Amino acid sequence: MIHILSREFLDSFKSVRSILIILFITFVSYQSATFIDSNPGLIQEIVKIGGEEGTVYTAAIALIVLILGFLFVFATSHDLINKEIELKTIRLLVTKTSRMQIMVGKFLGTLLFWVATITISFAVIFIISGSWFLKDYFHSFVFLFYIVSFVVLVSTVFTKSKLTMFLGILFGIALPILGLASAVSSKWYLVPFKYLLPYRYLEGSIGLMFVPIIIGVIYLLISVFIMQRKDL
Amino acid sequence: MSIVEVNHLTKKYGTTEVLKDINLEIYQGEVFGFVGHNGAGKSTFIHTITGITNKSAGSFKIMGISDSQLNHAKKRIGVMPDVSNLYENMKGLNFLRYMGKLAGDKRSKPELKTLMKEVGLEDAAQKKIKSYSFGMKKKICIAQALLGNPDLIILDEPTSGIDPESTINIRDLVIKLKEEGKTVFLTSHNLDEIDKVSDRVGILSDGEIKKLGTPRQLKEGIAAGVTISVRTKPILQKNDIQKLSEKMNTDIIFMEAKKDYTLLQVPSEEDLPEVSKEIIQSDVHLYEMKVEERSLEDVFMNA
Repeated sequence: MIHILSREFLDSFKSVRSILIILFITFVSYQSATFIDSNPGLIQEIVKIGGEEGTVYTAAIALIVLILGFLFVFATSHDLINKEIELKTIRLLVTKTSRMQIMVGKFLGTLLFWVATITISFAVIFIISGSWFLKDYFHSFVFLFYIVSFVVLVSTVFTKSKLTMFLGILFGIALPILGLASAVSSKWYLVPFKYLLPYRYLEGSIGLMFVPIIIGVIYLLISVFIMQRKDL
Repeated sequence: MSIVEVNHLTKKYGTTEVLKDINLEIYQGEVFGFVGHNGAGKSTFIHTITGITNKSAGSFKIMGISDSQLNHAKKRIGVMPDVSNLYENMKGLNFLRYMGKLAGDKRSKPELKTLMKEVGLEDAAQKKIKSYSFGMKKKICIAQALLGNPDLIILDEPTSGIDPESTINIRDLVIKLKEEGKTVFLTSHNLDEIDKVSDRVGILSDGEIKKLGTPRQLKEGIAAGVTISVRTKPILQKNDIQKLSEKMNTDIIFMEAKKDYTLLQVPSEEDLPEVSKEIIQSDVHLYEMKVEERSLEDVFMNA
């Protein structure tokens, strides 16, 4: 599994899309942190109205993850599983290792790439602000865990990579809207999204933040179950 | 000792049965050849026993490990995949390093280069697989199957589409593997190839094993009759053979007339003196008459 993980992780850095996304997130984090740092009055105002200092520094990266997270992860990894099936390279892998290890290795490799990406941004913020905002970092991690496991599920259920690219765009736009709307609305048709998507859990207690991880693990288990039954 | 034990293995795609109640044992240290036409089920059989596809019914054991625990046996099985399954964007050496890691192979880069040399890819280590010819892709598939020093090596059509020299090299490699005590399971369309290297052969047709045995047993087991080639001038034609058959009151079958000889089938070797005598007494000059060796092709055609 470790070899699939490391290959997936290293290969993630090789695509132009991934590099552009890393540069974008890092650049926005840097610009917003330097802007906040050069306007200390702004921090005091936000703290006065109940905000946290860390939230001010990490607001930009949080917004990127919450709003563009689905789109970015789908853009780079929508074909994480189905491309191997389409190209039949997965046949090579299954003769050497278990399907479970392939799935988990691919999931962890992709998650590690995204964790590395936000770590770079938090490191930039740390250099400017002098603090590592652990709670916000954990928020981003939870959110990315959820998204990557969802992408693994979609890429396993739908075997055509062109379809998952289309679905990725659709989900990337629709899910943040539905998630944020359901977090503040009590309309009945938004209720499933409220509980299935990770948005509402991020503003609760630390314990609630584990709910998206549990949902993510369920997505992964479903993906492994589907994969076990597939003829490759 | 059985290294592969297959019991009532069935594989269905929808309502189509691709493998029908296959029972087979492959013994340790033997070279087992699987022969069959396109669509006979050879690749499906390999895919099923290696975990690429799921069985529909039946069971199998590999090295004593049941199919439900197949993952525990994978490190001891080397599978040569189809050339279309390769990571085309990887360089040959990197591909082998990656697959080697998955197979638990601890070979260093120079050792992997030696392996590439052994299969005839010494100059291709740093080239991307997509730039390889079909034959080169076949060779890297074989090299990949040897990673991790497996006890059972499964080769799917190893010699199809490659040049004669490479075919001989692969044949030598299979013999070398056998000498090292490995078990080799190979499929091929090349009946001559299978005949040369296999200890036992299975003939698969429409998802069923029609014949199973050593090449000799199979050749002896086909329909009675002796095939002979007769070189005469002028060459014997179908009507000449019919006349001969009527005259001798024996079933002599005309098979084909080639450039300078005719192939016939006579009921038994006992008929040969009489046949030669009759030909000599006829208006043709007999230059040569010999009994043709039975080939696996005959067995295959009779299966």
